[in-house]
Amino acid sequence: MLATKEAKEQKISAWGEAATGRENLDLGGLKLPTTRDERWRYTRVASILTRSMRPAPEAGPAPSERPLPNLDAWRLVFVDGHYIEHLSSGSTVDGSYVGTWSESTRTYPELLESWGRGGFARKEWFAALQAEGSQDGAAIHVPKGVDLRAKTILIEHHLSGPGIVAHPRNIIHLEAGAKANVMLWSSSDESADGLLNLALDARVEDHAELKLEYIQDEAGRNAHISHLHITQASNSRLEVHTATARAHWLRNDLHIEQIGTDANAIFNGCFAPGDGQFTDHHTRIDHTVPDGTSAELYKGLAFKGGKAVFNGKIKVHQDAQRIEAFQKNSNILLERGATVYAKPELEIYADDVRCSHGCTTGQFDEEAVFYLRSRGMTEGAARRLLTQAFLAEALSGLCDEAREHVEAALLQRIHA
Amino acid sequence: MLKITNLHARIQDNEILRGLSLEVGTGEVHAIMGPNGSGKSTLASILAGRDDYEITAGSIEFNGVDLLELDATERAIAGIFLAFQYPVEIPGVSNMNFLRTALSSIREQRGLEPLSAKDFLEKVKSCAKLVELDGKLRNRSVNEGFSGGEKKRNEIFQMAMLEPMLGVLDETDSGLDIDALRIVSAGVNAMRTPDRSFLVITHYQRLLDHIVPDRVHVLAEGQIVRSGGKELALELEEKGYDWIKTEA
Repeated sequence: MLATKEAKEQKISAWGEAATGRENLDLGGLKLPTTRDERWRYTRVASILTRSMRPAPEAGPAPSERPLPNLDAWRLVFVDGHYIEHLSSGSTVDGSYVGTWSESTRTYPELLESWGRGGFARKEWFAALQAEGSQDGAAIHVPKGVDLRAKTILIEHHLSGPGIVAHPRNIIHLEAGAKANVMLWSSSDESADGLLNLALDARVEDHAELKLEYIQDEAGRNAHISHLHITQASNSRLEVHTATARAHWLRNDLHIEQIGTDANAIFNGCFAPGDGQFTDHHTRIDHTVPDGTSAELYKGLAFKGGKAVFNGKIKVHQDAQRIEAFQKNSNILLERGATVYAKPELEIYADDVRCSHGCTTGQFDEEAVFYLRSRGMTEGAARRLLTQAFLAEALSGLCDEAREHVEAALLQRIHA
Repeated sequence: MLKITNLHARIQDNEILRGLSLEVGTGEVHAIMGPNGSGKSTLASILAGRDDYEITAGSIEFNGVDLLELDATERAIAGIFLAFQYPVEIPGVSNMNFLRTALSSIREQRGLEPLSAKDFLEKVKSCAKLVELDGKLRNRSVNEGFSGGEKKRNEIFQMAMLEPMLGVLDETDSGLDIDALRIVSAGVNAMRTPDRSFLVITHYQRLLDHIVPDRVHVLAEGQIVRSGGKELALELEEKGYDWIKTEA
């Protein structure tokens, strides 16, 4: 037995070495998660390790079209963990830096000094692997008081083909009073079957405002694991809008920590796995100090054999008084065979708080379908309209271009 | 326009219509009255194409077409409109988006040109005026947070927009106060034309003071047990349904 266990662990560590291209990995003693771990109960990662994959020594072909051509943006394009300079356009407006991790380590080392391993890397095997195998990604620094919202900062990560794993690392630092809109976009080629293992760490300082849109629109059969960790200082505002438009197998961890008082966070998401697809959104917000607010809304729709997980944790720490934290999760199962595992978790250690959560899973109201049909809509059009209406609330925080793209992609997949 | 012959219908094991026959000519307004559970709303639902019922015998002809062969969408396109007794709330779908989608679907399948945005808005304005529907309500989600009266006005507003050949009003007067009843009735009356017919289903004679019918039918235990002119409604109001039951 012992030998088998050891052999298994050796196999895992050999896979990890190949997947990072590094020997003697230091994963801090973390273990590959199994369904016996509460946070991975419905999420089987074993199949990822049956595929052999390696970091690409250089970038494969970039996607033929840029996403959201009408969006006015500074673009940072990464393919297979490598920066594609000729497609990108950074910025140094008003002393800010919109560029890459690799360049900033050379040019602006002082900006990066304080960034150690992200919060997830100390707790999760895949995040530790990400930290060990870190590849290039975006580095964004906005100095005190600078408002960069004239354009969106669009960070694109693409997997170009089979057998490739990429571990891009991204950081965002908004100094006091700084403001920025960032869009993170992941895509993959149809032939991709590896893993995009992405980390993003952000710090939003006093009175700063960050809006982060995170769109996943992947054509391949690759897995996707992302680790997003954001800290909020006092009086800061944060919006995170996540939309899984297309993904074969996805796990997205979002962790928001309010470490300053009077911080405000809004985070929404939507997902719609179909046959053979899996999406897992794990969110967590920590209210560690008083007077913070948060509002969370996730909407999911599973169809055919699609399987989804939503897990939303709110933790209000001791003495974090007068917190207002709201969470809502609604799911629709379109057909028999579709599955959603939904789990709200509230941990409250302060006594003067207003917290609530609502979680529902159901089906479309057939009376509404009949009503629409009786007004001349075909059954398909009626169901499309109801899908659109169901998702609208969760997509409303996206910019117009992204919302239209995501909505069209979802409707096309769900009602093809 | 509408010819129902010996219609039998049931839901699960419960036979509700038991040989109902009825003919509505073009441009006519017929009222159907009857006690609770007599099958009035079942008839309305079947005309609109609700799937819950099983038709075990009989036929429905609409302008020479076998209505039972058409699904709910096709019936709306053929020109049947059901004003629901309990209009459905649809959160997230704005009234305007809903009407635009419905109208363009109907016009497309009737082989008509789509309305321009300008013509659509003008039509909305004039139809909303018919039932004094507030501009704010037009832009809200379909029926969401509407009062009972607003929902019924919204039904008539939709009917005016979609211009059916046969309007079926299923207890449109239920839950209406006197003012709303007057407004809704005026809206319906404004739509009366020589080529449009109405089937008005109601419990009470009150509505028929405003929408004056050409014929009144009494439905009891799944059959039309008596038909007459508008004065039949008054007689019913006076004597109650038991009078018919004992006679039948």
